Amino acid sequence: MLTRRSLLKSAPLLALAPTVPAFLARTARAAGPGPDARVLVVLQLDGGNDALNTVVPFADPEYAKLRPRLRIGAARVVKLNDALGLHPALKPLDELWTGGRLAVVPGVGYPNPSRSHFESMAIWHTARFGAEETRTSYGWLGRALDSGGGESCVVSPEAPQAVRGRRAAAVSLTRTADLLLADPDAVKAAVGAPAQQADDVLAFVRRQASDAVASAEKVEAMTREKSGAPYPASGLGQKLKLVARLLKAGSGSRVYYATQGGYDTHAQQPFAHANLVSEFADAVAAFFADLTAAQVADRVALLAFSEFGRTIRENDSAGTDHGTAGCVFVAGPGVGGGVIGTAPSLTDLTAGEPKMTTDFRRVYAAALSEWLGLPAKGLGEPMPPVGVFRK
Amino acid sequence: MTTKYWDAYEPDAKAPWNLLRVVHLHRRAAFAAPWDDLQRDVKAGPGAAVERLLKGESTAHTPADFALTAGVLTDAAASVGDLNRLKAAWFYRMLFGPDPVRERLALLWHDHFATGNAKVNNVGAMRRQSDLFRTHARDRFAVLLNAVVRDPALLEYLDAPANRRGHPNENLARELMELFTLGVGNYTEDDVKNAARCLTGWGVEENAFAERPERHDDGEKTVLGRTGKWTGTDLVNQLLRHPATATRLARKLVAAFFGESACPDDAVQELATGLRARDLDVSGAVGTVLRSRLFFAEANVRSRVAAPAEFVVGSARALGLFDPAPSTLAMADWSARMGQDLFDPPNVGGWLGGRAWINSRALIARANYAAALIEGPNAGRRDAYDPAAAAQSAGFGTARADVLTYHHRLLFGTDPGAEIGTRLARLDGRKLVIALLSAPEAQLG
Repeated sequence: MLTRRSLLKSAPLLALAPTVPAFLARTARAAGPGPDARVLVVLQLDGGNDALNTVVPFADPEYAKLRPRLRIGAARVVKLNDALGLHPALKPLDELWTGGRLAVVPGVGYPNPSRSHFESMAIWHTARFGAEETRTSYGWLGRALDSGGGESCVVSPEAPQAVRGRRAAAVSLTRTADLLLADPDAVKAAVGAPAQQADDVLAFVRRQASDAVASAEKVEAMTREKSGAPYPASGLGQKLKLVARLLKAGSGSRVYYATQGGYDTHAQQPFAHANLVSEFADAVAAFFADLTAAQVADRVALLAFSEFGRTIRENDSAGTDHGTAGCVFVAGPGVGGGVIGTAPSLTDLTAGEPKMTTDFRRVYAAALSEWLGLPAKGLGEPMPPVGVFRK
Repeated sequence: MTTKYWDAYEPDAKAPWNLLRVVHLHRRAAFAAPWDDLQRDVKAGPGAAVERLLKGESTAHTPADFALTAGVLTDAAASVGDLNRLKAAWFYRMLFGPDPVRERLALLWHDHFATGNAKVNNVGAMRRQSDLFRTHARDRFAVLLNAVVRDPALLEYLDAPANRRGHPNENLARELMELFTLGVGNYTEDDVKNAARCLTGWGVEENAFAERPERHDDGEKTVLGRTGKWTGTDLVNQLLRHPATATRLARKLVAAFFGESACPDDAVQELATGLRARDLDVSGAVGTVLRSRLFFAEANVRSRVAAPAEFVVGSARALGLFDPAPSTLAMADWSARMGQDLFDPPNVGGWLGGRAWINSRALIARANYAAALIEGPNAGRRDAYDPAAAAQSAGFGTARADVLTYHHRLLFGTDPGAEIGTRLARLDGRKLVIALLSAPEAQLG
C-alpha cells in the first residue's frame, strides 16, 4: 500500500506534484493574474559563473595579483563606476545600464556555502539549507505561486526544483511545436478525467496529461502571431525569443525560467567565458528591445543568477574552481539601476574566498514582494528586500 | 544473497505467471517485446524467461547481420564525427539487439557517469565511452569504474588533464566521490582536496588515458581517514571498498528495476550487503533482482515512469516494427524531445528520472511520437501501421473489439477494463492505437 508518508519518505521530490489539476486551478484563479500582471523571467547560469570576471573590480590591486593570467584590465571593462566594470563581452547590456534599467548586485550568496553544483543549486532553488531540506522542499517560486496563484513556464525540457510547488503548475517547452498535439482527438480521449485525490504515480501522470492537453490547446491559440524582432541564433537567444512570443501572445504565466549552461570553467577559461557572457548579453539585450517595441516590457523583470562564483584565485590551467558568492543581475523598466550593495573584499577572506555581502534571499524577497506582489514569507526567515526595484 | 527480501519468485495464486508479468518483465528489464516473444515466455515459465534475458540470447527479430551492421553504423558515425548518427547507432542496438538487458544497463551507466559531448566535443571519444558502458555493462563495478575513470571523454568532461602537482583541479575528484561512488555526506571538503591530489597526473594523450609521473603529487595525502602516498588507483580502490559505494550502487539498480516505493529501504540495504559480499558483482545483483519475488510483486507492476529512450524503443518493439523499422535517427530525436538526449545529459548528475520525466512538453512529445510511429512518415516509416492486420496475425479477429483487446494485452498484459473502454469508445483503427500509446498507463512500465 502506497501511503503518502511512504512516498514522501522514499521519493520526496517526486511527491511534489500538484494535488489539483493545474488547468482547473488556473480556471479558478482566472480572476487573479490577468494578462497585464507583472512577470519575472529567471535566467539560471549553470555551472558557477566567474563573478570576479563578470563584475570586475578593476581598480583593486589585489584583483591583478589573484588573476595574473585571467585579469581583465581597466581599459577593457565596461565601466559601472570608479571601482567596478563589466566584462567587455557584456557591452550589449550598456543600453540597459545607461537607461537605469540594470541592477548589478555583487557578492550574493548564503552562509556556509557548498561548492557542490547540486547542493548549491538546490539551495538557490529552494532557499532551504541542509541535504534533507533541499531534497524535500518545494522551490522558492513554486511556494510563492502556490500562495499567490499563477503558473510558471519553463523554457527547458525539465522543470527545475525552483518552480515546483504543491499546486503551482509548470509548463515546459523548448519550441512552440513542442506544445502542439499531432492528434488531439485521440490524445484527449486517451487521457480521460484526472484523479483528484490519489498520490500514486498513475494519478500523477493523469493530472499532468490533462494539463498537457489543456496547455496544447492554449498554446495553439496563443502563438499564431509572428515576431519580426531580431534575435541572436544562440541557444539562449532562441529561448528568450520564445518567452517574448508567449508574453506578446498574452500568456498568463507569472514566471518564466530559462537556463544557459557551460559556466563550469575549470580550464582555459578566457575564451569560453567571453563566449558565455556574450551569448547572455546579446540575448538579454535583444529580449528587452523586442519587448520594448511590443510595449510589454513594463511588465517584465529579468533575474540572472548562478549557483556560485568561482575561486578568486585562478588555477594553473587558466581556469577557476568552485567558489562561493556570485553576482546577480536584475534588469527591466521596473528596475532601479546601479550597483546595489557592496562588492566583497578580496583580502578579508574565509577559506580563501570572499565573504558574501548580500544574502540571496534578499534578492528573492524583492522579486517576490516588490515585483510580483507575491508573499515572500516562504524564505525561511524575514528577509529585508534588497532595493533593486523602483518604488 | 539468500535473504528474506530477495527470495526467488515462485508463481502462486497471489502472483501467478501470466501475460501481465511477462509484459512487466520485458518492459522493465528490457525495452518491451513483441507478441510472439510474450507468448513464448508465458509458456516457458518465469525461470526460462528470466534466464533468457539475463543471458542475452538472440531473438527472432534480431537481424542475422546485427553485430556487423551495428559496428558499421557506429564506425561511420565516429569517422565523420556526426553525433546524431552516433545516437542513431545506439538506438539501432536498443531496437534490434539480442541482449536488451545489456543495452538497458549501458543506458544506466551513461546516466550514472553522465558525460556530455557539448563539452567533450569529440564524437570518437563519446563512441568509445558508450562501447565501454556496453562492454562492461554487467561486469564487477571495480572493472567498470576503473575503466570509466580512465576514459578520455570522462576525463576531458571533468577537466582531469588540468589536474597536476601543486595545482590540483578538483572536478574529477569531487564528482568521483559525490556521484560515482560514495554520495554526499560520506566525505569532507578536505577529502575532495586530497583526492584531487591523488589523481594528479591523470590525463589524456592522443585520445588515450595517460598517467604522467612528473605531474603526479607523490606526497602523503589523507583520504577518508587513511594517510599514505596514494595514487589515483589507490583512491579508486579505497572508494570501491567503502560501504557507501555498495549502497549507492544498490540504489541505482533499484531505481532502474523498481517503481516508486516498490522496494523497501531494508531491501536496498540487503542488496548492498550482497553486492559487498560479492565484490560489487553487477551481473549477480541484476540476476538477484530479476529473479526475485519483490520484482514480480503487484506493487512493482506499472509503477515506474518509463524513461524516454525506453518509451521510444519499447513502443516500436512491442508493436513489432522491425521491418520496415522506424528511422533510428528519428527515434533519437524523439527521445531528445521527451527530455532524454543521448550523449547530452543535462549535467554531470545525469537525468533526474522518475516523475521528472513527466511534464506537458514531454507528454505531448510522447503522444506525438505515438502518432508518428503509427502514421509512419514522421518516424521514418513509409507505411502506416495496420492495427487490424497486426491483430489478425496474432490470431485475433479484425473487428474493433478484437483490435482493442489485442493491443491492450500487448501493451499492458491485461484485457481492457470498462474505464479505458469508455474513454476510447469513439476511436477505431490507427487512432485507437495512438490513444493507447498516449494513455497515462503507457508512460509507466
